Amino acid sequence: MKMFKKFTVTALTAVIAVTASFAGVAAAADSLKGKITVNGSTALLPLTLQAAKEFQKLHPKVKIAASGKGSVTGPQAVKKGIADIGACDWDASIDVPGFKAFDGQVANKVAVIPFATIVNKNVGVDNLTTEQLKGIYAGKITNWKEVGGSDANIVVITRAFGSGTRVNYQAKALGGGDIVKKEKNYKETGSSGDMKTAIGTTPNAIGYIDLVYVTGNDIKAVKFNGVEATTDNVINGSYKIWAYGYYMTKGQPTGATKEFIEYVQSKKFQQGSLKKLKFIPISAMQS
Amino acid sequence: MGAPVHGLTAKTQTSLEEVKRNTKRHRRHLLGNSISRYYFLFSILALCLVLGLVIVFIGKTALLLFTRISPQDFFFSFNWTPEEDAFGAAAFIVNTLSLTALTLVIAVPISVGMAVLCAEIAPNWLKSFIRPVLDLLVGIPSIVYGYLGLTVLLPFLRRVSGEGLGDGLLAAALVLALMVLPTICRISDDAIVAVPRKYRDAAYALGSTRLQVIMRVVLPAASRGIISAVILGMTRAVGETMAVVMVIGNTPQLAKSLFAPTSVLTSNIVMQISNVEFDSTWNYSLHMMAFLLLLISFVLILIIRLLGRKRRDA
Repeated sequence: MKMFKKFTVTALTAVIAVTASFAGVAAAADSLKGKITVNGSTALLPLTLQAAKEFQKLHPKVKIAASGKGSVTGPQAVKKGIADIGACDWDASIDVPGFKAFDGQVANKVAVIPFATIVNKNVGVDNLTTEQLKGIYAGKITNWKEVGGSDANIVVITRAFGSGTRVNYQAKALGGGDIVKKEKNYKETGSSGDMKTAIGTTPNAIGYIDLVYVTGNDIKAVKFNGVEATTDNVINGSYKIWAYGYYMTKGQPTGATKEFIEYVQSKKFQQGSLKKLKFIPISAMQS
Repeated sequence: MGAPVHGLTAKTQTSLEEVKRNTKRHRRHLLGNSISRYYFLFSILALCLVLGLVIVFIGKTALLLFTRISPQDFFFSFNWTPEEDAFGAAAFIVNTLSLTALTLVIAVPISVGMAVLCAEIAPNWLKSFIRPVLDLLVGIPSIVYGYLGLTVLLPFLRRVSGEGLGDGLLAAALVLALMVLPTICRISDDAIVAVPRKYRDAAYALGSTRLQVIMRVVLPAASRGIISAVILGMTRAVGETMAVVMVIGNTPQLAKSLFAPTSVLTSNIVMQISNVEFDSTWNYSLHMMAFLLLLISFVLILIIRLLGRKRRDA
């Protein structure tokens, strides 16, 4: 009798436990809850917004707020605890020229961003080498005829210090070379949009921008060391001016944040929406 | 029930009811009054609190700068290379002052001239056309002026001057002049209209010409109003950011020519504030620049107030 009772209790407990665990799993799948704040790079913002839209359709209880201001604001916001994800155009967990590493942050690769050297449509030059670009940005080459163009002063347009585009361009296109500061024909712009307008309206101007912005007839992308700036050339390894885009998190991501980053890194998103936005899937560069 | 014994009672009764009703209404009014009074008091206090917090916050962060570098380095050094720990803001201060001066040199003669035209010379149909147009110009967002400067004014300046870039003090001053013109013009206009008619009549009676009346009588009489109009325009020019950023070139160097790309306090803040770390000397020095702008507009507003008080005393 006593043994029977014991058995019943054990069985019941087991049943309850099993049911509960199943219910728990089911609930977890359905009710991924939380609020994710993304801050940082404007270059990555279109990608983040698209991913957020799709992710929220799958998990209606997750709220994602995304905004863009500039690459370095990403890891800074994460450091201050006002954002869960800091979108950044460089790996902010290690030192890069001008910026110290952000301790304790983890860089999650989410996309490949190609950059292009662009010039005003009136510039006759269509190929520049690393050395020529270095000379132009260091202020040593100041006339287009020195690099095979017509006799006209080069107008150098660059992004403000701290821009992710600038950090990457300096590292990849100028081989870490300096960008001149105090010259007559030197101008800084605040965003990719301003850069495009400035190059388009200034004759003899040279600048650099995300490849996705290279559209219209006012500007043209020049070849880099003889290689055309296309996504194909980035993937086959011949075009070198590109960088990974990162989602910085405080420690390893957890919960909804982890799920979201995994969604962005998933094959479905990388091969689908991300490609449509003219970014390059990270898997293309790792193979 | 029974009819009143005599008319008087009825009258007294109605007036009593009226008094009661009136007291009720009176009380309601009193309540309304006190509620709105507290509401307004609360609004003003809230506003003061927010304003105070802004000043305290900017000032506090700004003053932290001087724990890192000396005021001398900040105010008198022309070397602004934050990447290499050089935080000299003198170039921006000088540029801001020269940009404001240049703007006023361009804008004041034109806008005061227009004000005279509006108030004294133009026929009514022209007045009723100019004034709304000027009011409309004030409402256009500054970024639109900046964009027009970037896409229309800069190519024009490049063609005229033969410069490669065209960005610089002149471009910025021209854009700013267009922006402060309606402000200065409309306020001067009001000041001139407010000059009593008898002054003009007296001057004409003495045989003055119209030009003499305007130059010798009307403008001096309206001078205080015109000066405060100019100062109001100046505050707008000093603080304007978006339009300036797009046409000034944003190179942190002292402007030695009208066409050299350069940078002022506002444009430098807006270009860099989003790219600096929170607890860095760089961040503090940008806050110090903002605080400086706050002080400049505070002083300018103080001047307007003092002028206004003098006019009332006179």
